[in-house]
Amino acid sequence: MAAESPRSAPRRTPAAKSGAGLLSPRFRSAAELAGWDEESILLAALVVEDTPVRESRRKRRPSGSSTAGGSAGSNTRKRRSRRQSADEAPIPPVALVLDDDEKPNDNEVAKKEVKQAEEEKEKVSVVEGKEKSGSTKEGEAAATGELPCMDRLREELSCAICLDVCFQPSTTPCGHSFCMQCLKHAASKCGKRCPKCRQLISNSRSCTINTVLWNTIQLLFPSEVEARKSSMASSSASKDDVKQSLPRSNNYTQVGIRNTSGSSSFTTQDYTRIGNSTRSSLAADGRRSMPVPGTMNTSSGSFDTQGRSTRSRDSGRGFVRASELVATRSSARSGQSDDASLAYRLQQEEFMTAFDNDGGERQPQNTISTARANLRAMASRAERAVLLRARGWPL
Amino acid sequence: MSSSSSFPGPRFPGAGAGASGGGGGGGGGSGSSVRPWGSSGGTSVSSSGKRIQKELLDLNASDCSAGPKGDNLYHWLSTIIGPQGSPYEGGIFFLDVVFPLDYPFKPPMVTFKTRIYHCNVDSTGAVSLEILKDGWSPALTISKVLLAIKAIITNPDPYNPLVDSIARLYLTDRAKHDEIAAEWTLRFAR
Repeated sequence: MAAESPRSAPRRTPAAKSGAGLLSPRFRSAAELAGWDEESILLAALVVEDTPVRESRRKRRPSGSSTAGGSAGSNTRKRRSRRQSADEAPIPPVALVLDDDEKPNDNEVAKKEVKQAEEEKEKVSVVEGKEKSGSTKEGEAAATGELPCMDRLREELSCAICLDVCFQPSTTPCGHSFCMQCLKHAASKCGKRCPKCRQLISNSRSCTINTVLWNTIQLLFPSEVEARKSSMASSSASKDDVKQSLPRSNNYTQVGIRNTSGSSSFTTQDYTRIGNSTRSSLAADGRRSMPVPGTMNTSSGSFDTQGRSTRSRDSGRGFVRASELVATRSSARSGQSDDASLAYRLQQEEFMTAFDNDGGERQPQNTISTARANLRAMASRAERAVLLRARGWPL
Repeated sequence: MSSSSSFPGPRFPGAGAGASGGGGGGGGGSGSSVRPWGSSGGTSVSSSGKRIQKELLDLNASDCSAGPKGDNLYHWLSTIIGPQGSPYEGGIFFLDVVFPLDYPFKPPMVTFKTRIYHCNVDSTGAVSLEILKDGWSPALTISKVLLAIKAIITNPDPYNPLVDSIARLYLTDRAKHDEIAAEWTLRFAR
């Protein structure tokens, strides 16, 4: 650096002159006061010129160097190209990360071009290559939407144990993140070592949720998180329901969310199957025709009028009876398919209630009407099967 | 028993209701979201099934060839092509992969179905591989396991052998070992 500065300084004088013009007169006077000679001021001007805006400098460079040519310039050029390549280096990886697998070849080509250009030290082609990669990057970003790196992100943010997007991630001291539940399971079943790097992990720290990561995941993958949440909630809720038939109003929304994914045809299917299986089970087991007090007396004709109110509060009572029924029946060691059908029925009614409570105005009317049709179908079936009524089929 | 069962996933309305009675959950269902009713470890079975399905999807993208044998998601058949440059070159080796019910937390059981002359594979097809035993980690996947098996095929580990004679031959007379291995490959693995 020190060796070459006297050589390069005079060559640059024309450019430096103009650059010196950029210096404020106050700087000049200050420099003169400090006893700087002309050359050092020019050098300072070069430094000033060199430092601020890289882009403009780079653009001016090729023409300048082409006029300068020579062996002396090649030294600085080499250095500059190296620096430029250092500037360049982060760009292809970023492009690679940003672009998805759709156009890896494009990037490779761009990268190769950059490399070749480095080898040949032709800055023009470097700039071109860079512009090219930049343009493809922008173009793809525009084409695919906001975040073209979503798949990479998903990979990066997924738990190595369940291979899903991390749910409530917790980070080990060694820096690896897993779902908290997965990590707990792994610690209990495979020893307290990091599943990824086998470092020992202490229990206390591994059980805290990495909030930043968790919030990020919730922001990036709301649908996955929601699905996971609801499935967890529903499994726990179902356990609660079957075991102790708690008031379930707090579970309504979550179950509702889960069920909205199901189509309305699903509803019909279920009802028919439930009806059939329950009836067959009734035929098989006469003991279950034990009368359950209350709702069974409501006639099937009232199904039509109560189609809507089935989803309101008082149907909740009917529900509790149904789940009581579940409890008694499970204690009576009934067939598992019957449990399944009852579980489905409970789920369905929960869905309806949730539907009426929170999403009524959002959902289209026809879903309600199909639900009503289902209830009607149920009613007609109930008319046919007297035993069914005797069991207290809830409204 | 049935009180511990949980609702099946909403997307498979037809599944599980009647068919999978009896429970036990042994071997698992064909679908991951189908929780066997009344099986004691219901949630873990389902999560292992989910994970195995994910691995299956990932495998389709990679070059490994493995997949469920039939309906049973927990029983896979895999093929490994004899690595180039090894005496096993040109051979096609079939492997049986059996996933335990608590799969990601316990290693899969991998056995060779094709005879192979290898000091780490015995005549029943058992493989001595550290990551399939104590070295297992739930972060490992079946594709990584297959990769490790490929690696051990290329580079046998004669110091932790399953068949001592082969290991001894490998250490003393490598050329003879390779010759026999190639012969076995020709005989059994084509």
